[in-house]
Amino acid sequence: MRIAHYLNQFFAGVGGEDAAGAGPDLREGAVGPGKRLAALMGDEHPIVATAFCGDDHASGHPEFAAALVEEMREMGAELLIAGPAFTSGRYGLACGRIVSAAAQAGLPALAAMHPDNPGLAEAGGTPVVASGATAREMRPSLERLAAAARKLAAGEELTTEDGRIGLVPRTNRLAKRSAAQRAAALVLERLGGDREATEIPLPSFDQVTPAAPVADPADALVALLTEGGFVPAGNPDRLESARATKWVRHSLEGLDSVQAGEFESVHGGFSTQWANADPNRILPLDVARELEREGAIGGLHSEYFATTGNGTTVADARRFGVEWAAELHQAHIQAVILTAT
Amino acid sequence: MSPSGDDGGLSRLVHEVRELVLGDRTLYESGRLTVSEEAARSLLRDPALAEVRLACASPGESVRIIGALDAVQPCSKGPGGGGVFPGFLGPALPPGRGETHVLRGTAVLAAGHLPRAQEAVIDMSGPAAPLSPLAATHNLVIEFERAPDAAWEEVEAALRRGLLRLAVHLAEAALEAEPDAVEVLPDPASFPDGRPRVGIVTNLQTQGKFKDVFVYGRSLSGGLPTLISPNELDDGAVVSGQYGHPALKNPTYLHQTHPVVAALRERDDLWLAALVLCPEPVDQGTKELVSAHAARLCAGLGLDAAILTKEGGGNADADVSLKMDRLEEEGIATVGIFAEMAGRDGTGPSLVVPPSLAKAMVSTGNYDERVSLPSCARALGGDRLALLDRPATDELELPAAAVYCALNPLGWGRLTCSEAA
Repeated sequence: MRIAHYLNQFFAGVGGEDAAGAGPDLREGAVGPGKRLAALMGDEHPIVATAFCGDDHASGHPEFAAALVEEMREMGAELLIAGPAFTSGRYGLACGRIVSAAAQAGLPALAAMHPDNPGLAEAGGTPVVASGATAREMRPSLERLAAAARKLAAGEELTTEDGRIGLVPRTNRLAKRSAAQRAAALVLERLGGDREATEIPLPSFDQVTPAAPVADPADALVALLTEGGFVPAGNPDRLESARATKWVRHSLEGLDSVQAGEFESVHGGFSTQWANADPNRILPLDVARELEREGAIGGLHSEYFATTGNGTTVADARRFGVEWAAELHQAHIQAVILTAT
Repeated sequence: MSPSGDDGGLSRLVHEVRELVLGDRTLYESGRLTVSEEAARSLLRDPALAEVRLACASPGESVRIIGALDAVQPCSKGPGGGGVFPGFLGPALPPGRGETHVLRGTAVLAAGHLPRAQEAVIDMSGPAAPLSPLAATHNLVIEFERAPDAAWEEVEAALRRGLLRLAVHLAEAALEAEPDAVEVLPDPASFPDGRPRVGIVTNLQTQGKFKDVFVYGRSLSGGLPTLISPNELDDGAVVSGQYGHPALKNPTYLHQTHPVVAALRERDDLWLAALVLCPEPVDQGTKELVSAHAARLCAGLGLDAAILTKEGGGNADADVSLKMDRLEEEGIATVGIFAEMAGRDGTGPSLVVPPSLAKAMVSTGNYDERVSLPSCARALGGDRLALLDRPATDELELPAAAVYCALNPLGWGRLTCSEAA
């Protein structure tokens, strides 16, 4: 299998911190630690290209990854190996981004970094194996990386035994017996005293620290947000009724309330009959305008944001949250009312 | 113990269907079921339906059904049904005793548009066929057009009545036939031996129009958990009017053939002691009341363990998790059947609301993972798949969530989800 290897500017021999701003580039064959990796992989899996990028450039320009992946594919790469990045944060971030971009483009990929490297999360579900903490552990790190790469090249899945770290994707497969039969078998295990047996590990959720209270609401600019699938009649943006992958924004300028027939909920998770009879019960514009007139709040944001909270993945919901927060910060909003359904 | 009748048990007289065709007269003979088009149309006739079309879809055919709504297994206890589907066709009284003729390997199925229904794809062949129970049955598919001035609620009621009438009509054709098998189902209350007593707690969705399930013809919405004999399911005591979440749907067919009931019946080391039906309320206070009440009910029945099932997505997880916690507090060991919502790449958290005292969970698969369906020769239920705005016969990539019963929370399927072993 033809391999492309990713390194940062330092390991590619371009330069140290002074070269961290260097843009992405590609060379034929193995470079730096890639030479040792090539020897470990043997003739069967040659390193055909080495891609590299300055760490600062890779942190500030996430799009470097997709562009490099495209060039690697043009050079005939069939597998991407990135790192090892050890505990180097920006390098780990770059490795995580490039393997994730490769996986999305259908190019199998694998990175190596220390389990504490903050770049680990960037890899998403793309495989990462543990490396040592520093380049002093280059040799054992490369040996583990090469062993994992050979396994991946053979079409096998990597497990913790291969040193796999980070998010491990759960994938659908067919079991021998039905879920009902497995449930009955699990009852016997429970009755036999096993309290640990399960097919689904318990998830861990983020703990969110609430923002400090608004000092004086009468000075605050307030925005209305909702996960109620709230859209102008006819749903011009085609917001999904379930499993939303996007959010929408619409102007509230000149509106005193939201009228039936002009707005509707396309949420697929509850009966929208009453919401559509009075859309203010999803987006409470009528009472918010009253508060605005009374001076109880400083003002109302000129637009609302909405998505559909029905079977939405945590990853999409987190992205909406980040995007909303950035938008609201820019518009100097101090408080939001986010209606849930 | 006599096989049926006065001991409270039920005998299932099973007639296997190996071939389904349309014809002039409804007939069952040696595994071949012929359906009279005229009789079927007359049973489906209703002012809310402008037109109905009948088609057959059998396992292995290059056919895709989209917009699959409810599906029903034909059954009858005698002419006119003899009391099956109580509250709809029979009087609203508990069934589940005596003898019931069942046509196994066939189903009547409606397909088309209803409000709040989604894609609901069944491929009768190819890689998605093993994911759906209705890909393994010879299906009499009912397509329909709404009468111009009919309300959608009337269309839904007409389809539901029509499917049940048809199911009884087809089973009546086998009333005089020699059954392929006689299956004796004892009354769960009658069993004296020392096996662990296992109950099934089945949550029924209760979210209003087009998302409701009926017990003796009534919604459980606003009600409390109730105990019925699992044998009543075979006689159609539970009928679905719930059309959302295709992969997480429990059609009438799977209530009639409840997979956990079947799995417990086939074991000789566990005893199916009780079936508790519960509403799935939409507010937290009622969820907690129903969960605590169901746990007291199970404790009162002296259960050693319980298996919990649900219908629908995230909100329905809360009902299962709360009940697991309350049951564990009563000293009853629990196992919950869940579908996972782990995101397209399978790295997200699997559950919205996990249980806190117990963790024995069975996975019916990840809802968000994509499945690729090859193109097919013909489609029933519609010409275009709205989700992708593509012709229904095209090659399609869909979330597993769109495949009918693919992650069935009654536990029908073999689909599961895990990290690499």
